[in-house]
Amino acid sequence: MTVLSIAVTLIGGLTALAGLYYALRDLSADLVLLGLCALLVLGWMALGIALGVEDLAGGGPPDRVTLYGYLATALAMCLGGGWAGVFERSRWGSVVIAVVALVSLVLLMRLHQIWPGGFA
Amino acid sequence: MSGAHGRPAVERGRGFEIVLIAVYALFALSATARSVTQILRDLMAAPVAYSLSLLAAVTYIAVALALIRHGRRSSLARALCLVELAGVLVVGTLTVLDPQLFPDATVWSVYGQGYGYVPLLLPLVALAYMALAGRRAERPEERAR
Repeated sequence: MTVLSIAVTLIGGLTALAGLYYALRDLSADLVLLGLCALLVLGWMALGIALGVEDLAGGGPPDRVTLYGYLATALAMCLGGGWAGVFERSRWGSVVIAVVALVSLVLLMRLHQIWPGGFA
Repeated sequence: MSGAHGRPAVERGRGFEIVLIAVYALFALSATARSVTQILRDLMAAPVAYSLSLLAAVTYIAVALALIRHGRRSSLARALCLVELAGVLVVGTLTVLDPQLFPDATVWSVYGQGYGYVPLLLPLVALAYMALAGRRAERPEERAR
């Protein structure tokens, strides 16, 4: 779990930096940035599945609805950001991906507060 | 993709508008999820706070939809942003003046403190951007920004 959490943090940070770099250079999202965004989606999926398995194994989270609500929000948000990056062919598509990646980091931090035991 | 064949300008590229839409959609999603769980769980714990959370959620949904459907130059989006700004200011001031009214936090508590004050900045940025877009509307060679 800690490994996945670190992975999502690294991918999220990298995606945010790349998105900002693209925006500063006036570039629309290409396959590299979209690939990073897709990797972020996969990271969230893996983390969600891992937390779900941990939940099933017993000793679940104190607040299930909030936990899965956050996971679903993170996943939907990253998918939506990638979608905007595909269809908005300007620097602003890259900005959306950067924003989504930054919010991913915040959501991950909140997940650790919601269920500290899940990441132990 | 069919390119620019007879599409309205808003379809080719929205520019900064897409960032506003993304952030509004995100707030619409999180505020709705938050208020619905709060209300379903125990509305009576903090009825005023939870109702205002729901109001905030509805406002974010409305602004996001207005921007998606009508774009940055719609007066509807502008009016909704003014409603949103009024909401943040009124609820923010109330939470400072009368904390007893709010046993639990809302999105707009203390001007959106729990969300990094983005709820306060968002309508200001949106209104400023819409005002600039309206002024530039006359020029034919406008680059979406």
